[in-house]
Amino acid sequence: MTIISAPAGSGKTSLLRAWAGRPGQRRRLAIMQVQRDQQDAQQFWLALLAAVRQASGAAGAAGGAEPPAATPEFNGRAMVDRVLAELEGHRGRVALVIDDLHELHSPDALAQLTLLLTSLPPNAHAVLATRRDLRLRLHQLRLAGELAEIRAEDLRFTERETRELLGASGVTLSEAGAALLHERTEGWAAGLRLAAISLAGHPDPEQFVAEFSGSDRTVAEYLMAEMLGRQPDDVQQLLLRTSLLDRVNGELADLLAGRPGSERILLGLEDANAFVVSLDPERTWFRYHHLFGDLLRLELRRMLPEEVPALHRRAAGWFAEHGQIADAIRHTQAAGDWPDAARLLADHSFSLTMDGQAQTVRALLRAFPRGVDDPALALVRAGRDLAEGRLDEAAAYLAVAETYAGTTPPDRQRRLRVAVASLKLSLAARRGHLAGVLEQTRFLVSPVTAQTDEEIELGNDLRAVALMNLGTVEASLGLADAERHLREGAVLAGKTGRPYLEVRCLVQLGFASKIHPFATVQQRCREAIALAERYGWDTEPMTVPALITLASTMVWTGEFDQAELWLQRTTRAMQADTGADIRLLVHIVSGMLQACRGRHHEALPEFRAAEYLGSQLADSHALANQVTSWVLATQARLGRPGEARAALAALADEQVGSGEIHNARTVIALAEGDPAGALDAVRGVLDGTAPVIGYVTVVEAQLLAGLAHHELGDLRARNQAVERALALAESDRLVLPFAMTGSRELLEALPRHQTAHAALLADLLDVLHGSSPAADQPPPPDAEELSPGELRVLRFLPTNLSRPEIAGQLSVSPNTVSTHIRSIYAKLGVRDRSAAVQRARDLRLLSAARTR
Amino acid sequence: MRGHLPAGDHDGMDPAPALYVIRIKGHLGAMVLSAFPALDPHHHGAHTVLTGLLDRSALYGVLAEIEALGLDLLEVRQVPPERKSPGSGDSRSP
Repeated sequence: MTIISAPAGSGKTSLLRAWAGRPGQRRRLAIMQVQRDQQDAQQFWLALLAAVRQASGAAGAAGGAEPPAATPEFNGRAMVDRVLAELEGHRGRVALVIDDLHELHSPDALAQLTLLLTSLPPNAHAVLATRRDLRLRLHQLRLAGELAEIRAEDLRFTERETRELLGASGVTLSEAGAALLHERTEGWAAGLRLAAISLAGHPDPEQFVAEFSGSDRTVAEYLMAEMLGRQPDDVQQLLLRTSLLDRVNGELADLLAGRPGSERILLGLEDANAFVVSLDPERTWFRYHHLFGDLLRLELRRMLPEEVPALHRRAAGWFAEHGQIADAIRHTQAAGDWPDAARLLADHSFSLTMDGQAQTVRALLRAFPRGVDDPALALVRAGRDLAEGRLDEAAAYLAVAETYAGTTPPDRQRRLRVAVASLKLSLAARRGHLAGVLEQTRFLVSPVTAQTDEEIELGNDLRAVALMNLGTVEASLGLADAERHLREGAVLAGKTGRPYLEVRCLVQLGFASKIHPFATVQQRCREAIALAERYGWDTEPMTVPALITLASTMVWTGEFDQAELWLQRTTRAMQADTGADIRLLVHIVSGMLQACRGRHHEALPEFRAAEYLGSQLADSHALANQVTSWVLATQARLGRPGEARAALAALADEQVGSGEIHNARTVIALAEGDPAGALDAVRGVLDGTAPVIGYVTVVEAQLLAGLAHHELGDLRARNQAVERALALAESDRLVLPFAMTGSRELLEALPRHQTAHAALLADLLDVLHGSSPAADQPPPPDAEELSPGELRVLRFLPTNLSRPEIAGQLSVSPNTVSTHIRSIYAKLGVRDRSAAVQRARDLRLLSAARTR
Repeated sequence: MRGHLPAGDHDGMDPAPALYVIRIKGHLGAMVLSAFPALDPHHHGAHTVLTGLLDRSALYGVLAEIEALGLDLLEVRQVPPERKSPGSGDSRSP
């Protein structure tokens, strides 16, 4: 890795350009320049990824990955992995060049960049240019001697180089004159270039240098004033007036300068090497060297102060017309027009967020001075607070925003009301509050007579978001409409090119499918996760509902090891502000898993946590009875039936009447050594009089009845009950009730020839005995043997460790690990990590790996 | 935190403003000086000395501006306000 760290105007960019363009440059170059004051980590990474992709020249990798889309949520680590994968995929050497790194003002991005730089594959070289030393923790690279530094001293022009520069610029100067110039500028590149511009064609170069030398003024200011003074009036005006832009094209320059012909001037300046640089091959957009632009801007403020706000306004107008809203807002702010800026931001914060510029929105929000309490901003603040999990604050801001919306003119009012309704919808969804959701949805999904393309697009976005949120809440309450709404949302999002919304709808759909056969649920969850993986979002928080639902189904069907893996993936993807409804589910699944493995001590706190979270939700939770039932049952199983009875007595009447609570009473009675009482308790479920959440409660009841009959010595009744349980469990291959109720003995006692479900019985016994369930497919006939290196990596696949972490454990490069993993997948005929682990277990490879 | 200074309109996070003396190589002309409106300039020999009351954020803002303009920073010094003599000039600067 190479770092060029030197002050403004030292010639870093010129050096990079020269190096990049030199003949015999064998490396492919991925070049990017960090935008001014870049506070948005995602924007930085997308630009970097685009540069890396462009260098490879290929439209897409062999895996058919989609071009990266920005998301409202952003996972930096996943992005780093993606960039590393792209770099590894390059054949031949590649250089990653990042200029103006000091403009990266996102601490997250810097941390992520450090991760990238310390994990570079051997074929990649990084070159960074910056004005100041950065907080990149590169000690290990330095210690390993893998870091080269170029500093200001190295970039200084020597006297001889000064003479060469002057000669190349067509300047005739005596040796003494050149020496004087070198001494005065101290070999500073920018100074020399500025001097050269003024000297070229100057009638008396020696005099110029003498005067310059005799002045105490700072180099930049003196030469800048000289150079500017020498320009014709129209050029001066152009330079000054466009200095407040980060980038400029002919049209925009004409607008600010108030006269035509700017493009010609800009091209001429670039040709004269006067600190103007074109940004595209067609030379339509230009940028000034930062130092140059900064000085011009100061001069503009000094000479034409009354014009500055007007210039910003004109620029803002142009950017707004051309759809570059963030820039428009920035310039409006710079003009000091805070109310206008607030209005623009409020009107566009939703679409900016959907475009993945949430951090930009936040940066724009921060730019408002503290005293400005514009009600328009309430909407933006609400969105930010909601995204960061501060629900009460968000609600307060939304109230303000709503009042404000009522005061706006009609053309804005609809859009604002829709944005407010959308946020209220998200808020209600987060709180599990259905009434609130329905209230907003009626407003949002009503058809709209849209006027402009922009409004149609906005309308579609909002509609998709509304459908997604509505479906989500309906799902958590077990309502039938959930599926319809989520499907509609997914389809709409797919059509309008909003992959983020599409994935979220599908994820929620998987989540909502809980009442369906498990096979359906699993298929939908896998579909959603696969789509997320295609976009590189498989570790994003938005996939959590699908991940946990998948884990849940696996516990129900007895695939405990797999469920464990998915549960781990879920907790990794979760963030601090994950909603209570999801965390509740995670606890339930963890509890289920523990209980199935007979670890009732560990299961109880999980069920308790789920119960508590359920009580926090605004509406009663669909699984509330189930959770309470399991709390009571687990207490009884732990030998504390008295506690359970006491808790039972405290329950509300509707709960007590449910089938699930009937089952709990049955377990308590069994624990108290009262099988007759147990049969009494369970009767309501068996004869169908007690309402149940689903048939699984009946399965549980049958098994509990079987246990009671066993205690009473009625073996025929016992076997009948077990047989009925098997019949119910057959179609879904349900395992959980058998494991949780501890019915192994019952199953073993069942004569094989007396059951119509021998296969299921055998499978159940397998699971309950602790061996892994039979694989769905037979192992491939010619499964290639894994090499020792691959086996070593395989051992780590069931863990949480990422590829770089595995590499660290094995003391090899991440690139080696990736190569091994690719080979492992190929040999096992799988496509992802958890499938590989499952396969490896089926083939008993993991134990083999352990013993080597 | 300096409790003796006059209360400014700042929140608890920012330390109270302090008096800073910043020395830069070369004479700063009107163009560059306009970047430091909060500071008082004086020429001292071949250097320019900028003096002013700055809180922490403002100080780093000034330093960032110096970096951006490619100026040669020679010295940054914080001067305790109790020892500042009233009237022009800081008795501690050479």
